Amino acid sequence: MSAGGEPAVAGGAVAPNKIIAFGILGGLIGIYAAHFLDSMISPVFSFMGALGAICAIVWGADAVRRVCSYGLGTGVPSIGMLALGMGVVASMFGLAVGGIAGPIIAFVSAAIIGLIIGVLANKVLGMNIPIMEQSMVEIAGAGALTIVGLSTTMAGTFMFEEVLTFVIAPGYIAVIFIAGGMGILHPFNACLGPDEHQDRTLTLGFEKGGIAMVIAGLVSAVAGSAAMLPTIMIGVFIWYTSFAKFYELTKRDSYKILGSGLLPSEEELQ
Amino acid sequence: MEPLIGMGVLALMGAAATVAGASEDLESDVGSQSNPNSQVQLAPQMMYPHRIYNKAISGEPPSNALMCAIGGTTASVLMTAYSMSPLFAIAMGALFAAIVHGSYSISAFLGRPASQKRFKQPVYLDVLRSHTPVIMGYSYITTFCILVVSYLMIAVLGHPFPLPLLAFIWGITVGAIGSSTGDVHYGAEREFQNVEFGAGLNAANSGNIVRTAESGLRNGIDNSWFCAKFGGPVTGIAFGMTVFLSGWVTTVFNPAASLTMGWLSVVAGVILVLIMIIWNRKIEVAARAAFGPYKEDEVAA
Amino acid sequence: MIDVVSILSANILYVVLITLGGMLISLSVHFVPVGGAPAAMAQATGIGTGTVQLAAGAGLTGLVTAGAVMAVSDSLPLILAAGAVGAMIMMSVTMLVGAWVYTYGVGVPPASAKIKYDPITKDRQDLYVSQGTEGHGLPTVSYVSGVIGGLLGGIGGALVYYSLMSTSTGLTMTNLIGLASIFAVGIFFVNAVIPSYNIGGTIEGFHDPKFKKWPKAVFSSFIATFLSALVGVLAIGGL
Repeated sequence: MSAGGEPAVAGGAVAPNKIIAFGILGGLIGIYAAHFLDSMISPVFSFMGALGAICAIVWGADAVRRVCSYGLGTGVPSIGMLALGMGVVASMFGLAVGGIAGPIIAFVSAAIIGLIIGVLANKVLGMNIPIMEQSMVEIAGAGALTIVGLSTTMAGTFMFEEVLTFVIAPGYIAVIFIAGGMGILHPFNACLGPDEHQDRTLTLGFEKGGIAMVIAGLVSAVAGSAAMLPTIMIGVFIWYTSFAKFYELTKRDSYKILGSGLLPSEEELQ
Repeated sequence: MEPLIGMGVLALMGAAATVAGASEDLESDVGSQSNPNSQVQLAPQMMYPHRIYNKAISGEPPSNALMCAIGGTTASVLMTAYSMSPLFAIAMGALFAAIVHGSYSISAFLGRPASQKRFKQPVYLDVLRSHTPVIMGYSYITTFCILVVSYLMIAVLGHPFPLPLLAFIWGITVGAIGSSTGDVHYGAEREFQNVEFGAGLNAANSGNIVRTAESGLRNGIDNSWFCAKFGGPVTGIAFGMTVFLSGWVTTVFNPAASLTMGWLSVVAGVILVLIMIIWNRKIEVAARAAFGPYKEDEVAA
Repeated sequence: MIDVVSILSANILYVVLITLGGMLISLSVHFVPVGGAPAAMAQATGIGTGTVQLAAGAGLTGLVTAGAVMAVSDSLPLILAAGAVGAMIMMSVTMLVGAWVYTYGVGVPPASAKIKYDPITKDRQDLYVSQGTEGHGLPTVSYVSGVIGGLLGGIGGALVYYSLMSTSTGLTMTNLIGLASIFAVGIFFVNAVIPSYNIGGTIEGFHDPKFKKWPKAVFSSFIATFLSALVGVLAIGGL
């Protein structure tokens, strides 16, 4: 899938550090806010977890964008699957042993697994991608926060008893796995090409996050229907606004948007 | 369970899987997905702008896994939280999955050409409007059939995995099979009908995809029309065979009955695999005899 | 917090088995003949899809069969064999139907450009490679290699699932199946991606020169899976 011309420039208007901070802080704040507001005020607030997950998805999409511009030798999708593979192992462990510190333990263990895989990829497999270690840490961490965030919305808490009953045993973890993974890998994959722009790619990250939020809202009906409607409505709102924004940016970036028409003429292509 | 009922359910699963495989392949042909899409992606760069949908969602396995997992999740939620009937829940699940898939398709169709501004590939909105509903229709059929397979496995054959997870796994599998079999018909033949039949794509022709149709300019629906004659059906047979045969060995020789039966099921599976190795060899010999070598042996000449 | 030492000492066997399973999956990917995007245009030998996805498709089909058998039997060899058979059937069917498409749909004979003679059938290969390509379709050696890949991947996936399911825990059966199956899927994906980075996305089978690189990927998988096995067993054993 490398047939996109010369590699895109991995720069962007927003610096990586800002997006990393946005992802980690937004993710963790969302998850903890969902947990505490849910138990203290009202179950309605469990939608905060999905908001946290959206922050993590956008961060993951940016990390994928930076590492994939090096060319991995295989498609962009594989790295998304790797992210969620590491993330799911780490987050199940974190939630199972961590109690109230669960999300942080999940995040840290994902980062450790990611670091080791990054080091192995460069040192043993000889991929020699300068930012591989950092990217793997970021992608695994984003994957773990996405999983924990969406699980928190589905179950109303990240306490493992509930997550186990409402998310893992009925198999909803599978949809988290793939919807989160696609949220992380799809934005860059869909915008691959020499004229890719960071803002357009990340807008798509918000859009896919919105879809994941709608799904999480739907599933939260199983644990208790209070949070379902607000979560779905906010998710649809995020999806709609970011999709509209994405369409605006497509109009800005594309060569031409035509209602219909023939192919560009020979002279036009010169 | 009665062995006869088991066989009947298995036959139904095989039939549903066959439909799912065929619709999966045609869905990926309408939208141009997965590996053959690399040529559609490359074409504008080689000065061949086109009117073919560019559905770069990801490889087919993740995108089908997404559809099926969403469908399975929705169906499972509707069945547990609202006690809906399985058929209705599966239909609703497939509908929601098709809508999400449509959104993914649109974002890829807008995103890829917009990132090719310098090659002057326009974004044709009429292609978007005409193809996306077709894509969603096919994805509805695929998801519905996979959910039927997964539901039957759980409800009748007693598989321990939960519905969303099983649907997710079958989604990965149908995508893997679709992109390995039917897509080749689209990528190696339909995209390059302008070169002589009976050869792989010469690297020199990369990106030179066929852009004109019988009348007017070719689009993805023209491609699915062609692939529906061969690529789609054989993909269906492949996925149907996978589901049917992998279930058949344990239904005929049920491991629950005794350990011996379990081992007999393994033996039956190995025999099936050996038959397929020999079959492949027969095809290889026949193909070499029929098509002959492309060049003379230089040593002998 | 949980008692790390006692959980690990009680389940050390399963940590070892999971690690072994991960290494098997990693090795299996090297056997699966995938040509990536070029193979979809009959431009390279192998199956026209990505390594990760095909290995996952085969391995997870094996996981489904292994899960079905594990629900009714507790014999480890049988569960492993069931996983292997499921994955082998998926691989064989996919490659067979792929051969139909290459032969009847595209009109090319199977041929490899990396070797002159097929090591199994002794057939001449280079003359049957069409101009400007790196081979196409699946010669017998690639087909057999793919079946071996399915075998190892199926055994590996089943081994991971079996070990997670056998870890001593206080979980109910439904919860344990949910947790063990998603852990197995996660470990499977990690171990399918690592070797695909090792071989750069394409390989023809065990006769391919790239196959010699397998120790690197298996070593990486050993470390990655060992870590995953530790956290997996700790998570399940601690409940």
